[in-house]
Amino acid sequence: MTDSLMPFAVFFASIFTGNILLTNYLGMCSFLSVSKELKTSTGLGMAVIFVMATTTPLNWIVYQYLLIPYNLEYLRFIVFIIVIAAFVQLTEMTLERYSEPLYQSLGIFLPLITVNCAILGVSLFMVIREYTLLTSFFFGLGSGIGWFIAIIAMAGIRQKLKNAKIPPGLEGPGITLVIAGFMAMAFMGFSGMIAIS
Amino acid sequence: MQNESLEVSRMASKLLRKTFMEPLGKNNPVFVQILGICSTLAVTNKLQNTMVMTLGVMFTTALSSLTISILRNYIPSRIRMMVETMVIATFVIIVDIVLKAFYPEMWKQLGPYVGLIITNCIIMGRIEAFALQNKPMLSLVDGLASGLGYAYVLLAIAFVRELLGTGSLWGFQILGSWWTNWSIMIMPPGGFFVLAIIIWIIREKIMKEAKND
Amino acid sequence: MKAKRTFYSERIYPLLFMFAVTFFCILITSGLQLATEDRATANELAFTRRAILNAGGVAFENTTEGIEEAFQSKIEEQDGYYVADSNSGKRYIIPVEGPGLWGAITIMAGFEEDLSTFSGIAIVSQNETPGLGARIEEPWFTEQFRGKQAPFTLVEEGTADAPTEVDAITGATRTSEYFKNITNRAANDAKRIIGGE
Repeated sequence: MTDSLMPFAVFFASIFTGNILLTNYLGMCSFLSVSKELKTSTGLGMAVIFVMATTTPLNWIVYQYLLIPYNLEYLRFIVFIIVIAAFVQLTEMTLERYSEPLYQSLGIFLPLITVNCAILGVSLFMVIREYTLLTSFFFGLGSGIGWFIAIIAMAGIRQKLKNAKIPPGLEGPGITLVIAGFMAMAFMGFSGMIAIS
Repeated sequence: MQNESLEVSRMASKLLRKTFMEPLGKNNPVFVQILGICSTLAVTNKLQNTMVMTLGVMFTTALSSLTISILRNYIPSRIRMMVETMVIATFVIIVDIVLKAFYPEMWKQLGPYVGLIITNCIIMGRIEAFALQNKPMLSLVDGLASGLGYAYVLLAIAFVRELLGTGSLWGFQILGSWWTNWSIMIMPPGGFFVLAIIIWIIREKIMKEAKND
Repeated sequence: MKAKRTFYSERIYPLLFMFAVTFFCILITSGLQLATEDRATANELAFTRRAILNAGGVAFENTTEGIEEAFQSKIEEQDGYYVADSNSGKRYIIPVEGPGLWGAITIMAGFEEDLSTFSGIAIVSQNETPGLGARIEEPWFTEQFRGKQAPFTLVEEGTADAPTEVDAITGATRTSEYFKNITNRAANDAKRIIGGE
């Protein structure tokens, strides 16, 4: 595969075949609790896309120009978290100040995202896989979209389940996990999608 | 005076025992509070990796709880979460560095998941719910017990996944060639299913006990 | 008793506290990092060397010292490749890198003197999906290339029969494909780098 196609391949792969949630198990906490409601799921999902798409390339820059030159790679955990927290905080304040509707639909989820393992996870994967800046952006964007699709689908399904009879022990997280398992299986079917030359 | 101090120490040891036992059963972080599944579910397809991860989580939870508990009266409330994150991150980095230096094989296998211990909701959850309001010794015990409660659930998942998915345990072949590997077990869906079933079993049991009480 | 909210307590003290905590955290982690740095680099080197030894089919003791000792006595480094002096004859080992599903896969490919028959393959680094593509590291997968010749074709796991057939990994078709391409290329590279010098 040529290098110039890498960002796009990674973009598609991170949505479907390597879905950050269904394949890599990241971002589950909020996924399990928020997916009860379609509306909140949409808001949270969009916030996740936004934060992932922006913090991943941001962390790339910090890693390349700050951590590597000074041999501080082992501090990446602390630094990435600080970057993510600071960025989220900044975004929240900006939204609150300048756009009330956007703040209501997106901004209130931002604090919840800071501790979402998926955000940090995407940055860490980016470092391990040694992506370029462009690929990092598409990786972040794709992972966010993948997470969004997963939570939307889950919310939709759970909505339908409201009137279904579920064994009491499975109610809540139990049945959500079973559905997630089936969704993971379905997503695995995508692995034939991208042809390689 | 003697009787009083005896009584106090008896209460203290009772409290200690209660603090230790709760996260193991009634208040188990994983299946009761559904915390911290994220990071470790990914490594539960191999027993050995799970063991290392859960030891890392136990270490971090116990020591982070201890540290925050010691500092609890000095932490300004507005930067509380940042401080907690910083402390947790430090212990996780320690785990990461130690693994990289002394168990490089394991370090390579666990990849980014060690770093993700930081975002594991259990650690932050226990700190907020317990360590901030309790004494250091108790917090240490609570952290350790929470880590342990988390560990045995994940080890159970890993046990099932590795055995059914590869016929081996801890890398050692247990089931002979008559066994067709349930490949689904080592793949992501398997993790979801096994966890769901375990939660189901435990919850049914808890509910039954609640009915009998 | 509620503490007085002074400028100090609201602004300065939190900042100082944060600084102090950050300082200590970085101190502890840096100290540990420095103390173990050499060990970590030695481990890295041992990994690459062990891959070379494995690809060449050289027996060695799986400790850092054992690897070092075997490497010094049995491996000769040439320009772009290694020559191994194993118990079964002379082998040639080259590093080969190619794209995997997520990032690059780097292997050491060892050949018998005919530069066609594989003496072994060892993975140096890979970033494939854990539990799926990452299984290329498992011994059964790399061992099956021993004694075979490229070009390889992938077959369903467990059914490889002909000398040019290799088992793919169930559920990791993409990664298996990428790996096959790398091994096929290795054979050509070997002839070019070592043979046509």
